[in-house]
Amino acid sequence: MSWWVITALAAGVAAQRLIGMFAGTALLTKVPVFGRLAGLIPAAVVGAVIVQLTITSKTSLVIDERLAGLAVAGVLVWRRAPMVVTIVAAAATTALLRAAFGW
Amino acid sequence: MADRGGRSGPDWGVLSGIAFTFFALGVTVNVLVLERVGSEVKTVVAAIVINSATTELAYIAVRDAGGSLIAALIAGWIVASRFGLLAASLGSRLNVGRWHRAAAGLQSFDPNVGVAVQQRTAHDVMRTFWMVTLAMHAGWWSGTFVGVFLGNVIGDADRLGLDAVFPALLLAIIGNLLRQRPGLVAALVGGAVCAVLVPIAPAGVPIIMSLIGAVAALRVRQPELAS
Repeated sequence: MSWWVITALAAGVAAQRLIGMFAGTALLTKVPVFGRLAGLIPAAVVGAVIVQLTITSKTSLVIDERLAGLAVAGVLVWRRAPMVVTIVAAAATTALLRAAFGW
Repeated sequence: MADRGGRSGPDWGVLSGIAFTFFALGVTVNVLVLERVGSEVKTVVAAIVINSATTELAYIAVRDAGGSLIAALIAGWIVASRFGLLAASLGSRLNVGRWHRAAAGLQSFDPNVGVAVQQRTAHDVMRTFWMVTLAMHAGWWSGTFVGVFLGNVIGDADRLGLDAVFPALLLAIIGNLLRQRPGLVAALVGGAVCAVLVPIAPAGVPIIMSLIGAVAALRVRQPELAS
């Protein structure tokens, strides 16, 4: 990763964040149809990131022990368990299954 | 959780969970980056100025797979496009000046925007956003310095199940949104769109297209009195 690449990546990421904050916000607040969209975007985007982190590996769909960890996290979130308990339980479930089955 | 009972701001449990997760990420991601970059200074500067671990990982993944420089740059940019969407969502809830807005935009990530937009007032949104941002950076930077200068103190992250920590954290963050029907539909449709597109679309595109989930949820009404 050269200095040139670092600069290019940094500029591209910062530009998108600023475009979202200024142009994106203007669109969401000035066009009535988009008003409700603003509150729904985080759930949709974060839902997709969770899927990507849990059931994909590069460009394939994979069901493995990560999904079991997420399922345990899902139950704990539903039961309103403390966040630290949720993430430790997800990691422990994944680690134990991995150790048990050697996935 | 973040807004249970209308309390303002995240509690210490939420902040420490976020800091812990970002510490683990900071160590594991930067050990990997240092391996490819070969220079401690460059690794730390890249983490500061790019300010997106997924961008660094996407760039490295494409280069490792033999992809061209341009393809790797584009992949790095596209995976960060979700931050633009999240910044727009955050921006519509902020009531601050232009410079403060720019600073918040440049720090828009999944956890801080996810927790902040669940607050009721513009003031609480802003305060929560910066508290979570601080917790994220405290964890991330201590992890970065440990990873870069002390090496991989965590060991085999996968063996410890640490790859399950970030998705679990994100699920906990949007937990309250999922209790409401529109939020649940947005997340389920967004996740399904992503799953369908991952095998066929270039890196990053499945996440941008999850916007379809938010659009689909526009048609869903939340029954009154549901929390």
